[in-house]
Amino acid sequence: MNDMTLTERAVNATENKITARNVQVYYGESHAIKDVNVDILDKTVTAFIGPSGCGKSTFLRCLNRMNDTIDICRVQGEILLDNEDIYDRRVDPVQLRAKVGMVFQKPNPFPKSIYDNVAYGPKIHGLTRNRAELDEVVEASLRKAALWNEVKDRLTAPGTGLSGGQQQRLCIARAIATSPEVLLMDEPCSALDPIATAQVEELIDELRTNFSVVIVTHSMQQAARVSQKTAFFHLGNLVEYDDTDKIFTNPTDPRTESYITGRIG
Amino acid sequence: MPVFWIFVIVLALTGAGFVMGRARALSSVDGDRRRLHSLPSYAGALVAMSAFLPALALFVLMLALNATGMILTGATLLATLIGIALSLRLISPEFRARNAVETGVRGLLIAAASVAILTTIGIVLSLVFNTVEFFNLYPIKAFFLGLNWTPSFGGGSELGILPLLWGTLYISFIALLVAVPIGLYAAVYLSEYASHPVRSAIKPLLEILAGIPTIVYGLFALLTVGPFLMSIFGPNGPTAAIAENGWMHAGTAVMTAGLVMGIMLIPFVSSLSDDIINAVPQSLRDGSYGLGATKSETIKQVILPAALPGIVGAILLAASRAIGETMIVVLGAGAAARLSLNPFDAMTTVTAKIVSQLTGDADFASPEALVAFSLAMTLFVITLGLNIFALWIVRKYREQYE
Amino acid sequence: MSDATHSAPHKPTSRSLHAVDARTKRRNASESRFKAMGIGAIGIGLAFLVLLLSTIVVNGSSAFQQTFIDVPVYLDPAKIDKKGNRDLADLKKATTFTYAPLIQNGLLDVVQKAGLETDLSKAKELKNLISASAAAQVRDRVLADPSLIGQTIDFKILASSRVDGYLKGRVKRADIAQDKNISVAQLDLTDALRKAGVIHKGFNTAFIFGADASDSRAEQAGIGVSMLGSFYMMLVVLVLALPIGVAASIYLEEFAAKNRFTDLIEVNISNLAAVPSIVFGILGLSVFIQFAHLPQSAPLVGGLVLTLMTLPTIIISTRAALKAVPPSIRDAALGVGASKMQSVFHHVLPLAMPGILTGTIIGLAQALGETAPLLLIGMVGYVATNTPDGFIDGFVSPNSAMPAQIYEWAKRADPAFYERAWGGIIILLVFLLSMNIIAIILRRKFERRW
Repeated sequence: MNDMTLTERAVNATENKITARNVQVYYGESHAIKDVNVDILDKTVTAFIGPSGCGKSTFLRCLNRMNDTIDICRVQGEILLDNEDIYDRRVDPVQLRAKVGMVFQKPNPFPKSIYDNVAYGPKIHGLTRNRAELDEVVEASLRKAALWNEVKDRLTAPGTGLSGGQQQRLCIARAIATSPEVLLMDEPCSALDPIATAQVEELIDELRTNFSVVIVTHSMQQAARVSQKTAFFHLGNLVEYDDTDKIFTNPTDPRTESYITGRIG
Repeated sequence: MPVFWIFVIVLALTGAGFVMGRARALSSVDGDRRRLHSLPSYAGALVAMSAFLPALALFVLMLALNATGMILTGATLLATLIGIALSLRLISPEFRARNAVETGVRGLLIAAASVAILTTIGIVLSLVFNTVEFFNLYPIKAFFLGLNWTPSFGGGSELGILPLLWGTLYISFIALLVAVPIGLYAAVYLSEYASHPVRSAIKPLLEILAGIPTIVYGLFALLTVGPFLMSIFGPNGPTAAIAENGWMHAGTAVMTAGLVMGIMLIPFVSSLSDDIINAVPQSLRDGSYGLGATKSETIKQVILPAALPGIVGAILLAASRAIGETMIVVLGAGAAARLSLNPFDAMTTVTAKIVSQLTGDADFASPEALVAFSLAMTLFVITLGLNIFALWIVRKYREQYE
Repeated sequence: MSDATHSAPHKPTSRSLHAVDARTKRRNASESRFKAMGIGAIGIGLAFLVLLLSTIVVNGSSAFQQTFIDVPVYLDPAKIDKKGNRDLADLKKATTFTYAPLIQNGLLDVVQKAGLETDLSKAKELKNLISASAAAQVRDRVLADPSLIGQTIDFKILASSRVDGYLKGRVKRADIAQDKNISVAQLDLTDALRKAGVIHKGFNTAFIFGADASDSRAEQAGIGVSMLGSFYMMLVVLVLALPIGVAASIYLEEFAAKNRFTDLIEVNISNLAAVPSIVFGILGLSVFIQFAHLPQSAPLVGGLVLTLMTLPTIIISTRAALKAVPPSIRDAALGVGASKMQSVFHHVLPLAMPGILTGTIIGLAQALGETAPLLLIGMVGYVATNTPDGFIDGFVSPNSAMPAQIYEWAKRADPAFYERAWGGIIILLVFLLSMNIIAIILRRKFERRW
């Protein structure tokens, strides 16, 4: 369990979870994502890397339609989740987001108790029938987020009172409490110190057993540590997508190599 | 007119002082301005200031002491001339006229800023002195605990504040009952749902309601809302079937004033709440949407609880506004002090009675007139307390997200 | 990391995204309801605004119309100039009581010449058609030009407020049974005279520029004099509040050290902004009138009170304007050797000026509409009948102010004054609207982004 050479694990799932075809994203006039095609596997950690402003976060936010909340954002192309187009007119983004959870860059616990933070998703989606079940879900989620032992005696304390790393794990617990199938993480460790980062990274590797995880990261080391597949974005293009080992040892595209070796970015 | 002429003469002397000071600075260096520490006009400005400011201060002081005629004129002009003479003697090439002028200007700035303190002192003193006077004539206990308000200038008045406070609070309560839900829903819609163009069109429109003078609302209450309510709840309206003569007996009533005051407060509540809702960080919204919450779920379960302290502060500020409002209640609430639960009864408020006790032909030394100051004191203390508390809550709230 | 080995108690639901489940439908319905509540709230707010404004326009616009009667009046020397010497001193002895019958006779002549059918055969019975102000109007004309005596002069006189109200639909035939100021026969005659063109409506210039009248002559009441009162008050506010407010803001924003004294000023300003306006009236009454013995009902005192009331508004907006000037401007000035004072007065203040002016105009607008403090310093109850003699007199002689005048009219018993009150509000709102538009234009024109 404490094996830190995470990347040595084989990619053990080959089933496609998300398929993106010819995705274009526009912010008003600017063309933020240009013709991206990618297949994201189930029970795999996929890392999106690339320099700032390359579009990796934008693309991530397309995967659960969080871009809908931005008025000027337009998405074209096709994104399939389990072979269903998530931009189909019949899709309710609310239902989609219950299936595709998200963890944000800065820990953003609600100003509620730890318990209520985790219970929020199950409550709004009506996933439990009674309080006992809800208790169970909260406990299981906090355990999966490796936070249970630290907070089990103060579930009624405000979530905002936790440390940064704990807050981020609380947000992860909150996200997995709705039993999503995909978990999107937008630079989840960028606001954390190294120790908290290590804890969260370890957690991400655990999560792979249940979910397909997509993580946007600035840190190539982090991508190498936690992911099995890596996608490199540059100026809105998906430059290269392959096994993480391959990307970091033998990239095909010269741009990827420049980025990996620190010449751009 | 002498005051006017004193003013003109002093101004003329001030102008002359400026010219003299400037000329003296230049002549002290034989016209070579580079040898001066400060620009020559600073020397002029110094003389002008020394001429004008002490004279003005003396003039105001003497007016306050009721000096008139030759003494007033003479002393003021003398002060001007002395100011010019003394400051002219200071001027030399090395003299730091700019620094002196800047010190003077700084003093003026401080004096201007102190006007706020003086105003507060003025308010407190005028309230306290007259209140003490009132309590010398009328027992303090009967004022604060009395259940009757029956002033009569012939003597034997009962001046209990409770019926007035009751009317004030009842009307304010109804006003908040109207303003808070409407204002809050409007704020939520504008900040969370409305597109930018809709928001920038609706917000100023709603704020027109806040810019309309209260006299307009008063007239609206008296001449439009009152008669309208009478037609429904009055003796000829449908409620006459339930209660004999209906619930309402005159157009002026708690409901009339409360309703209109509520309309006035809608933009007050909505723009304060709008600011507060906007201060809730976007990350909380993202967190909630990311979990698949709908907008209304996010608003009800995340944003409003997070904004609650700030919204409570806003409501308290609105309450303080309502309690201190005068024109609407003077015209819309009625004149009779009454302890009643029926919102269609005419009642009166603290502010309305302050007006009526001080605008009659009463002798200012009688308890019937002096009671207005005690009423105002009570009003001042209540609104001040509410404001300080509300501002404290709002500040705490903002700090939380900074 | 043993926590993670617990399996989830609930299995992921893998239903199709393309089918909206019942719960989501319910949630979306609740979403729509909530949104509708928001729209409803805004709708109610805007409906109130429309209702308020339309009430004002509907009730007030008639104040700008007034009913007049064209009457040729024979200026009978036997009545006016009994001594026959055209001496002004003697002419002045003839009061308005002398003139009233002359006008009534003139009107009766008109009625008879036009052959209008009426039961009213005596001149006296026409009295109720004619404003009580008409006699004074004729008398003033005669005193100004005694040579008119003996001639028949055409006058355009005010109709009485009942006739005016009848033509405007305010006075109804059904309601006048108890009214001793008008009768059914007189209303019949009014209709006939209107058809004949003798009674006609015209634009009411006197309402805008004229003076208030006693509470028995609603048809004559105007808002002009109290408008002057408001004007003088606003001058006082502008001259005092602008420099004091700007100076105080400059001190607080640019010079004040962080200490107790500064905190005290800040607390005072924010609290004064929330003190009920009636309390400022108390301050004016006891400090300016009782203590300093300034004249009652004077615009000067009103202006002083409103200045103190407006200062917090002006200070708050001025500070915001000063704050918006970026520190780089100050640094640039200090960098070339300007003193702190010079950097503020030469650079920061001019750049902040549009913002300051906008705030000042909005403060003035607020002061212009304020009524409550004026009640306590005697600007209500005073009948503003005289135009002040000259500029200085405008500040110190008793006067009313527009909102106070409106309040005064609203309190009078005769409903004819309500129309005046609404009309006064239209004028007041026109002023406020123009001030706000000027403020908006200023802001748009000089808006600067750094």
